[in-house]
Amino acid sequence: MTTGADTCFHCALPVPAACKLTVEIEGEQRPVCCPGCKAVAELIRDTGMSRYYDLRDAPEPGVGRPAEEAAEWQVFDSPEMLKAFTESHDEMLEATIYVGGMYCSACSWLIETTLGKQPGVKSAEVNPITHRLRLRFPSGEASLSGYLATLANLGYQPQPLSPESTTRPEVTEQRAALKRLLVASLGMMQVMMFAVGLYAMDFQGIDPDMQHFLRLVSFFVTTPVVFYAAKPFFKSAWRGVVARKPGMDLPVSIAVGSAYIASVYATYTRGEAVWFDSVTMFVFFLTLGRFLEMRARHRSIDRSAALSSLLPNTATRIDSGVHSVVPVSQLATGDRVLIRAGEPIPADGILASGTTSVDEALLTGEARPRAKALGDELSAGSINLDGMIEMTVTSTGSDTTLGTISRLSERARYARPAFVTLADKIASYIVLALLVVATGVATFWYFTDPDRAFVITLSVLVVTCPCALALATPAAFAAAGSRLSQLRLLVTNGNAIESLSRATLAMFDKTGTLTMGMPRITAVFVTDNAWTEKDCRIVAAALEHASTHPLARAFAVPDKLPEVTSHEIVVGLGVRGIIDHREWRLGNTAFVGSGVATDDSTATHVFLACDENVVAWFELEDEVRPDAGQTLNKLRSLGIATALVSGDNRAAVESVAAKLAIDDTYCECTPEDKLAIIEGAQRRGDRVVMIGDGINDAPVLAGADTSIAPAHGALLAQTSADVIMLGDTLAPLTTAVEMSRKTMRIVRQNIAWAIVYNTLALPLAAAGYVPPWAAAIGMSASSLIVVLNALRLNRFE
Amino acid sequence: MSILYVLIPLALLLLGGAVWAFFWAVGSGQFDDLDTPAVRIVMDDDTKPDQDDKS
Repeated sequence: MTTGADTCFHCALPVPAACKLTVEIEGEQRPVCCPGCKAVAELIRDTGMSRYYDLRDAPEPGVGRPAEEAAEWQVFDSPEMLKAFTESHDEMLEATIYVGGMYCSACSWLIETTLGKQPGVKSAEVNPITHRLRLRFPSGEASLSGYLATLANLGYQPQPLSPESTTRPEVTEQRAALKRLLVASLGMMQVMMFAVGLYAMDFQGIDPDMQHFLRLVSFFVTTPVVFYAAKPFFKSAWRGVVARKPGMDLPVSIAVGSAYIASVYATYTRGEAVWFDSVTMFVFFLTLGRFLEMRARHRSIDRSAALSSLLPNTATRIDSGVHSVVPVSQLATGDRVLIRAGEPIPADGILASGTTSVDEALLTGEARPRAKALGDELSAGSINLDGMIEMTVTSTGSDTTLGTISRLSERARYARPAFVTLADKIASYIVLALLVVATGVATFWYFTDPDRAFVITLSVLVVTCPCALALATPAAFAAAGSRLSQLRLLVTNGNAIESLSRATLAMFDKTGTLTMGMPRITAVFVTDNAWTEKDCRIVAAALEHASTHPLARAFAVPDKLPEVTSHEIVVGLGVRGIIDHREWRLGNTAFVGSGVATDDSTATHVFLACDENVVAWFELEDEVRPDAGQTLNKLRSLGIATALVSGDNRAAVESVAAKLAIDDTYCECTPEDKLAIIEGAQRRGDRVVMIGDGINDAPVLAGADTSIAPAHGALLAQTSADVIMLGDTLAPLTTAVEMSRKTMRIVRQNIAWAIVYNTLALPLAAAGYVPPWAAAIGMSASSLIVVLNALRLNRFE
Repeated sequence: MSILYVLIPLALLLLGGAVWAFFWAVGSGQFDDLDTPAVRIVMDDDTKPDQDDKS
């Protein structure tokens, strides 16, 4: 997998024009964007891991870029820390580490092989789904800090997890389900074998002792299948009865239970027939269905753990003037914490000393830094950009704003989609109807042919099991969800597929969604003839070189930069410095003291002054995404109208709308206005898809029928979004719409099939033409057809 | 046919052993990750820097 010439070979971010760094990998010089990426790429090459670059998926830009400064890992070597973050098993320590920045299986290979070569490491296993690394090393010899540093050097963000937080309910659930599935499948195979013997004997004449023996072993094998593998069905059926909401599991339990009891009775009394084969087959197919549904539910990636990795591991605490590095988990309310420039803020707190500006992009999606003065609130996870500050902690861990967001997203993940709940509700009515019909059939046959009454009622119960109906929707949604995640779309809300398939209007936010969200210089106006445009660009680049301001990246030039002395960053205003004995200032109007009037304001303007005289101004504009036009055209061809809603001014919005031929534009909108626009469209009968990435979009996203957020935006926006688009393009949007339509087509086919099957099978079974084994096959086959039909979605391109 | 009276219980014993082994494997966490092992086989880990080929 190679990246373009102008993007970093390692992290896929654009290489600044000024950067001439390259790395030789597999005999070719590859461009990299910064010394950090160069170091990582060289480390990967020198340890013989160059194949990582061939194996990995297309990288998400910026992922894998190493941290600017090495974190202080040594704190994890102290005995208390080792005790808190590892478990010991006979002389071996086992640590679970959340690895931030992983995005594909090649990453797990890279981590496993590199760590496996570290001294002392006994085993290193990475789960790429949960992003967790399980590391075993002997106690006393090796250092956890060394391993953490190695991970950080590879460009990942390691985060040791305490053992309590690693045993998650999903793991327990999956283990139990696997055991049940195995018992049911092995049991079914064995009982089938004995059943073949029994049926063959029916035709060839029977040795009664052998028949009894085969029935007896069938009974032994079936018993654990019924009492262990089918236990969840009995439990859930009982819960349904107690709550007076009979579910699908009630007729299932009645069928399994009564067939088992009748077979046991027949075995004991050496009666006519046994149905152990039907029982085990029935339980196996039901267990398999539940297992597949559970896997799909677990597959949604654990984004809450990703959140915690955004916090630093350690913080510098000040106890009566003494600085000590402590793990973030040991911070308490009221502690005073020192935060240096460039460090993330470890907890929520109040600025107690110093002034600074912080980057709150994580929470708000807003790239512009926010100035903070004494007494202002600081949020965990935002980054301190300029000054060295002290903060008084007000809340830590899961009580912080960031923690609240992660809890919200956790809750959203466990909620079942309303559409599936509806299917369950319908199924419960069908179940009631079935029970009535089965009772009717039983009564009828009891009076006409009492010998056959039980067998026929059993067949009716088994053959009409609404499994296919109940599987029709979840199977299709699960298949669609797993295929969509391969196509880099994460569906966090099952309703999204249904609502997306009916979408008629797509509303876009502007900044960061339709545009890159990263400004570039679009024009330079030189007002003083003594300087050329190139001079101005170079001076500006030199002044901005040391600045962490997001706009600063836009100024980078490929030339050699002059030396700047007395360089100073004035928070919220600009930068100043002395070049060639002249004082230069670069910043906004207030800072430079410019009187230049700018009538249109589609762009940001930055002024450059030399010794108090304005010499030039730069126009910076946020460019439209290269694939935006194509994506919007495709949406229109799918019959979806487009609209642009933005908080920006008219000129800026209209210039973007004109470039992309957007149908409707709304500008200078507050979030309330945006919500009102969406509600207006919904009243006119439109099904609205909202695509936005900012924190202000969160209520708007919640108000739309379907909401989609790009993964690079604010986390709060992502938690209110139904679908998250990974990667840095808009193209997955059309895939999502096409896929959702195909999914709903399959759901309708499945439901139609289930209804047709049941209406045909019920009268046949009631009339006594279907023996129980054929009923079990019929029911399983109809469920299988539904699942196979749903799996066709996996081949969607 | 009477050999079946020996063979079938023997088969059931083996079955019980298989179930026990599987339960142990699940309990020790070997089946927690059902996705990676499928792709791990295609990843070599014996490439040395000097043997790097461009295939």
